[in-house]
Amino acid sequence: MSEHTHKLKPADDPSFQLPASLAALAVPLGIGGAALLLVGILLGLFVLSDGDVGGKRFTMSAYLTGFMYCFTISLGCLFFVLIQHLCRAGWSVVVRRVAEMMMIAIPALGLLFIPVLVTAWSDSGTLYPWSNPGYADAHGVPAGVWAEKLRYLSSDWFTVRSVVYLVLLSAIAIYYFQLSRRQDETGEITLTERMQARSGPAVIAFSLITSFAAFDWLMSLAPMWFSTMFGVYIFAGSVLTAHAAIAVGVYLLQSRGAIRDEVTVEHYHDLGKLLFGFVTFWTYIAFSQFVLIWYGNIPEETHWYYTRLLGSWGPVSYLLIFFHWLFPFLGLLSRHIRRKPALVFAWSVYLLLVHFVDLAWIVMPEASTNFGGAVGVATALLVTLGMVGLYVGGILWFMRAKQVRVLPVRDPRLPESLAFENI
Amino acid sequence: MTDTQEKKLHGVYAEFDAVDTLLAACRRVRDAGYTRTDAYTPFPVHGIEKALGIRPTALPWIVLGCGLTGSAIGICMQVWMNGINYPYIISGKPFYSIPAFIPVTFELTILLSAFGAFFGMLALNRLPKFSNPVFTSPRFDRATDDKFFLYIDASDPRFDHNGVTRLLGDIGGTEIQDVYEDNSSTRVPTAIKVAFGVLAFLAIVPLLAVARMRVTNSPNPRFHVFYDMDFSPAKGPQTTSTLFADGRAMRPDVPGTVAVGQFDEDPNFYTGVDLDELARRDQTRAVHLVRTMQVPEAEAAPASGDQPAAETPWLAKNPRPVSLALLERGRMQFEIYCATCHGNDGRGRGLVTARAQQILSSAWVQPSSLHQETLYQDVYPDGKLFSVISNGIRKMGGYGSQISVRDRWAVVAYVRALQLSQNAALEDLPVNRRNDLSRRKAEVEQQLAEQAEAERRRAEEAAGTTTAPAAEEAAPAPAETPAEAAAPAPVTPEQPAATEPAPAPATEAAPAEPAPAADAEMEAAATPAAEPAPATEPAPATEPAPATEPEPATEPAPAAEPAPAPASEPEPTPSPEPAPATEPAPEPAPATEPEPAAEPEPEPAPATEPQPETEPASEPEADAEPAEEPAAAS
Repeated sequence: MSEHTHKLKPADDPSFQLPASLAALAVPLGIGGAALLLVGILLGLFVLSDGDVGGKRFTMSAYLTGFMYCFTISLGCLFFVLIQHLCRAGWSVVVRRVAEMMMIAIPALGLLFIPVLVTAWSDSGTLYPWSNPGYADAHGVPAGVWAEKLRYLSSDWFTVRSVVYLVLLSAIAIYYFQLSRRQDETGEITLTERMQARSGPAVIAFSLITSFAAFDWLMSLAPMWFSTMFGVYIFAGSVLTAHAAIAVGVYLLQSRGAIRDEVTVEHYHDLGKLLFGFVTFWTYIAFSQFVLIWYGNIPEETHWYYTRLLGSWGPVSYLLIFFHWLFPFLGLLSRHIRRKPALVFAWSVYLLLVHFVDLAWIVMPEASTNFGGAVGVATALLVTLGMVGLYVGGILWFMRAKQVRVLPVRDPRLPESLAFENI
Repeated sequence: MTDTQEKKLHGVYAEFDAVDTLLAACRRVRDAGYTRTDAYTPFPVHGIEKALGIRPTALPWIVLGCGLTGSAIGICMQVWMNGINYPYIISGKPFYSIPAFIPVTFELTILLSAFGAFFGMLALNRLPKFSNPVFTSPRFDRATDDKFFLYIDASDPRFDHNGVTRLLGDIGGTEIQDVYEDNSSTRVPTAIKVAFGVLAFLAIVPLLAVARMRVTNSPNPRFHVFYDMDFSPAKGPQTTSTLFADGRAMRPDVPGTVAVGQFDEDPNFYTGVDLDELARRDQTRAVHLVRTMQVPEAEAAPASGDQPAAETPWLAKNPRPVSLALLERGRMQFEIYCATCHGNDGRGRGLVTARAQQILSSAWVQPSSLHQETLYQDVYPDGKLFSVISNGIRKMGGYGSQISVRDRWAVVAYVRALQLSQNAALEDLPVNRRNDLSRRKAEVEQQLAEQAEAERRRAEEAAGTTTAPAAEEAAPAPAETPAEAAAPAPVTPEQPAATEPAPAPATEAAPAEPAPAADAEMEAAATPAAEPAPATEPAPATEPAPATEPEPATEPAPAAEPAPAPASEPEPTPSPEPAPATEPAPEPAPATEPEPAAEPEPEPAPATEPQPETEPASEPEADAEPAEEPAAAS
């Protein structure tokens, strides 16, 4: 069809396997990550803490930040897979397996959520203030209002919802992963048709779960605050990060010798366009959420921004404007940049870093009006780093153990994806 | 095809069966150095631009430029409108409030970007284009069906008919055809012309309908397309609202708050009272006064009884430095808030007063003249005047919620200037103004003397030679001519009284600018000008004596507003007709009889008179001007 004719390599081509150099990282990354996570938690609990709830809450908030960091990546990857099936997209087949690799981490992440569930049952409001029975009195919330709140924000109902979210998301992820893998062997077109047919309902379920999980897990950190847009905000950051993670994953795989002929500049260009689009979308949503509250200026709503715009979190808010929007916006604006894989990779790494700041900015101010000092920053960084190490190591270990290929080698749209050109 | 030889060659195209052969051919043509080429395919072909060697489009730069322009317009427009040109507090946000500016900026960016993309694309493609010579070839129709075409334009610098034909054949073109300039008629088909004509006509119809509605009356109520835009649910001033417990739609200032930009640390500035001194004399009152500034008046416990223990130590001097700008500001505020009752000259004869007298309102108490000696600065401190403006006195309401603190002090300064204007000597004027004024004064005196002379002569003639009509004709003549020369014409009839009111405007208008007034002087003189005229008549109106004379002539002029009827009526002096009849009647009993005096009465009376209406109709217009002018001139 075009200048360079793409020859479809055989399915057992070595370049479709996880590169050995990456596979070897699985165990060190996993163990190192677990160790860092432990160190971070201990640091938070014993060095930072003076025995009160503050230290514990800070540590748990750091843990939640790290968890949500990995979870939002997987969540965005799940969305990526679903939406590609929903649109019957051809271009994305060569990068889809990378998304599927991160998507399949959701069941494992469900296990890492257990500590959060446990703290939700603690009476002291270790992580979620609503689990503290004295919250209403301490904050002057009228008893009637608080009673209504508690009908939703109760430990058992929270647990039920969380389990439902995780089980449903895991089910969708496993279903799509298994079908995609089975197609690697059989090449049945009906599998693609089935995945396409179920992607519509799956996306609906996904959107509801994402929104409510964001409400429950993050927004309820400030129980009296509400923003109906909050779910979309988390979704925007999540999908943005997922695309960045996919680009990083593909680039790393290629740099180790895998799928070098399959993923071309054109695919990076598309990923770059999506990154650019979601940078803008995130900003649009973030600003929309902010401007309504800012304009309305109602104390019940503004207090969330109050703690983030004034005091020591203020600079972070302004940094987000520049680092989460302006710089990547300008940096990804030109197609010449988006058509250079190394630059797309660099911007993706950058966006992955900034996403951590965004999440920390959402979670941490509820635990500490400052950063918790140097120890606090170290705690948050170590916990998230450890979580990421565990996450990546786990994925690599799983890929190696299951001998998962890094490309859906028998996908019926693979030739279309290989021949894809933007212009 | 015999006549094709005469036609000009436009280009050559070749037909291909498959997209791959087309792409290969495109590359060959590109490599052969042809640049004015084009390919036609039934569907978009990826990579064909590269194969044809088409350079990347400049469209992104156009869009970027348009987008940046939109952003700049959006930001600058809002900064200018809300921050500079018309600073207006919206929702308690600052004038320059970037978050509030972003939505509009964003929308304008998108709008202009979209325009740039759409119109830029059209322009770069040289669209719209109604026809293309390749359409003349019947085979070319299959470009939208199942064939692929490669076209080389004759204007290409390397174009050579035989060479191109051979090249296209070599690279696999199955059918090679020449394309000639389209020589068919360019005349617009009649049907299209007619259609355009009809459309144009139909487009005019709504405009005609609107135009017709503009000039016709209808008993039906107006049709409101956007009802809630025509009738905003917003509450007007002085209306009620169920939204608030006190039922007032207008919200008073929140106790203890100061409007943006008006905060001043000094409580004296807000009260007009020297609080330190007051605290020394009467501690409780001082505390009370400060508290009323901070809590609602109802909550602040009343001070010790009604009688103040000691005299209030008002600020004797205006705390704001007096400058011309301050006086101008004060004059503006005075004319907005005070002059309607107190009059522009401060004599207590504003429009409301005039109206109240016109309708013989019994409830109206004439506002104080600001020119009483008891209100002068030496006996009435500035702080007390400020307090009266802020809180009201007797029947006058407080203007504290309407005039800002700083402006109230400006009004105080202006009132002082007004008072001075009534007592200024010629020496108070700047030297360069004195001569001018002396000259004008001399002119006025001379005219007065002439008129007195004329009057005297007329009286003599009337008494002596008894040629009455002639005298009567002669009399108005001298009165008119000076009027046109911007002389104080209306003064004539009031000669006996002239000694009193005539100089009044003179002194009033001129020294109204005691400060080193530059050009503000003429304005200052012009504005009080409307006053002196009314100032003269209400006074005589109460006295029955001058009513016999044609004096009311000057009276209607100040009414300025509706009352054209009375204006026409007295001026012609057509003998004691209805005018004196209606006027003196209500006079004796203005206070006792409020009812029958209602406004409609005086108006219909003159209206029925045909005589004054027809003839003098032109005259009053000419008179209305002199009525205002003489004051300005003097």
